[in-house]
Amino acid sequence: MALDYRKCAEEIVSHIGGAENVATAAHCATRLRLVIADNGKVDKKALENVEGVKGMFESNGQLQLIIGTGTVNKVYDEFLAVTGLSAASKDDAKKAAAAQMPLWKRLLKTPGDVFVPILPAIVASGLMMGLVEALGKAIPGFGETDWYNWLDMVANTAFAYLPVIVAISSARVFGGNIFLGAVVGLMMIHSNLINAWAVGTAESIPTWQLLFFNVKRVGYQGHVIPVIIAVWLMCMIEKWLHKHVPEMLDLFVTPLTTVLITAFVTFTIIGPIFSTFETYVLAGAKLLITVGFGIGSMIMGAIYPITVVMGLHHMYNVIEAGMIAETGKNIWMPIASAANFAQFGACLAVAVKSRSNRTKAVALPSSLSASLGITEPAIFGVNFRFMKPFVFGMIGGAAGAWFGAISKIGATTYGVTGIPGLLAIDNIPVYVIMLAIAAGVAFALTFVLWKEETDDAPAAAPAPAEEEMPDIVNTSVIRCSAGEIGQPVAGKVIPYDEIPDPTFASGALGVGIGVEPDEETVYAPMDGTISSVAESKHAIGISGAGDMELLIHVGVDTVEMNGDGFRPLVSEGDTVKKGQKILTFSKAKIKAAGHPDTVVVLLTNSDDYEDTTYGI
Amino acid sequence: MKEFKFTVTDPVGIHARPAGLLVKEVKAHASAITIATEAGKSADAKKLLALMGLGIKQGDTVTVTVDGADEEEAAAAIEKFMKDNL
Repeated sequence: MALDYRKCAEEIVSHIGGAENVATAAHCATRLRLVIADNGKVDKKALENVEGVKGMFESNGQLQLIIGTGTVNKVYDEFLAVTGLSAASKDDAKKAAAAQMPLWKRLLKTPGDVFVPILPAIVASGLMMGLVEALGKAIPGFGETDWYNWLDMVANTAFAYLPVIVAISSARVFGGNIFLGAVVGLMMIHSNLINAWAVGTAESIPTWQLLFFNVKRVGYQGHVIPVIIAVWLMCMIEKWLHKHVPEMLDLFVTPLTTVLITAFVTFTIIGPIFSTFETYVLAGAKLLITVGFGIGSMIMGAIYPITVVMGLHHMYNVIEAGMIAETGKNIWMPIASAANFAQFGACLAVAVKSRSNRTKAVALPSSLSASLGITEPAIFGVNFRFMKPFVFGMIGGAAGAWFGAISKIGATTYGVTGIPGLLAIDNIPVYVIMLAIAAGVAFALTFVLWKEETDDAPAAAPAPAEEEMPDIVNTSVIRCSAGEIGQPVAGKVIPYDEIPDPTFASGALGVGIGVEPDEETVYAPMDGTISSVAESKHAIGISGAGDMELLIHVGVDTVEMNGDGFRPLVSEGDTVKKGQKILTFSKAKIKAAGHPDTVVVLLTNSDDYEDTTYGI
Repeated sequence: MKEFKFTVTDPVGIHARPAGLLVKEVKAHASAITIATEAGKSADAKKLLALMGLGIKQGDTVTVTVDGADEEEAAAAIEKFMKDNL
């Protein structure tokens, strides 16, 4: 019985609130992926009953209708014809889903998106800087050597030119030309400008008079947010021009105009807003730490990381230098140290707790770098992205800074925090206790209260989740009223009727899916009890919730191999947890025996449920 | 209640595929149908995984018990099915 694609598409449209309620539509191998403007208008019950729709669910802001291979593209074509929409790629659908996130969430997500790709550069630099600075302080005289000088240059390169790296990454995130992005970044730290780190010691700051703007000739070293904003603006201008400038003139007009307008707005509007803001923050910070009983320091310890995010922390050298000149005692440094070390604690907790190898790989080196006082990798790469660790870090920072202030410790120099700060502090034991408080509070809070959001990973790095082994079991491939069954082995999922075996494909053993395996490990796709392990080791039965009886059969006709090439890791009667390894097999041996290696996954009693659906 | 014995001739025994076919056949009947091995294990023949769990191999003799309203026809049909397929 052939499906009436037109009718199916029309019914879908009528149950999702009409064509005007569809933001974008895309399809993958089996699903129609829709982004709906107003989810309230969707009649889910009716949708599930549309002939041709095998199942539906919502995920990541998308409404996904399972239609099936070979059919979905035809329904999709009719769907476009009915709605009058144009084809959208999966990426577009993803983007539109991101656009459904509230504005503040999108804004918070941006620095993370920008920073994740550049982490290798800043983690390398951060660790090196921390070590080199520590060595410089620890070994008397080392700070004067050529080696130190050279190492210091190598180490701080990524930070000295951070705006360039941020600009390039931002241009990629916002979809502009990355070389124009690089130009914007370079321009903001051009050597004709006064280095932002040196502003505090500069005698006078020259200005330009541009129209009615009086522009300070100061660079944006150490800045992140103004760079991201400038590049975002650049990308908007560039895209608009590409659309509106005739193609013949595009290469002349677009880059020139883009860079010129961006530069002007950056120096006259974005820059001044930030530098005014910085001046206030600086004045505020100076005032704040004079508040008694350590309260001011506590507040500063809490908000310090926010100022790092804003790129304002390079201003603090001015405060520190001033303190040393006046009293010889830098009481700012313990506050900064507590704040930084708390971010280290929070980041370390993420590294320990996260179950994603990718997150661990970022969080561990980032936390090390933070312990040495270079917190950007930890803040932008980890804590700020997940938000909660960042907030817990602020709490830890507040606790540590308060303790440091009431203990009246201070540093004799400036520019170092964290572990290297041991060499600059006037009371080492108290300083150690302060760091322990800061990191301990942040670590404990993060470890206990932060929960990994699995949704966050694909958003930050669009790698296919199917490749991460333990994640596949969270991709449901069979659904019925009794529960969901995940994908037990990595690989391409096909519907059961495409399994290269007439019996399995007939549905006589129940409905389900086949997996053309990329890997050789089978994971339990649901919680349950092992009800049978075939003598020939190639098939496992699992009974799950609601009497679901699942058969996992590795390969076709593989019973003939008599167990050679299969290693079950469970035996009959064992209780298994979803995601637990239950069987390994050798693809090579199955191939050598001349059998297809398709892993058959069937809900053998699917007849008992009325609403069984299958496929990704 | 009807009962009969059957010796499996299928080289793979009552494994996934033959077991599935058998379950399908058995489910067509209302009677409760149980398969017991010589070792004394028994299973509801309508449950594939239970049936497979018996690990019945070629040459094994099983006892099939049919109990219910349609036991006459059911027993005859299942015996015929097993002879033809197993």
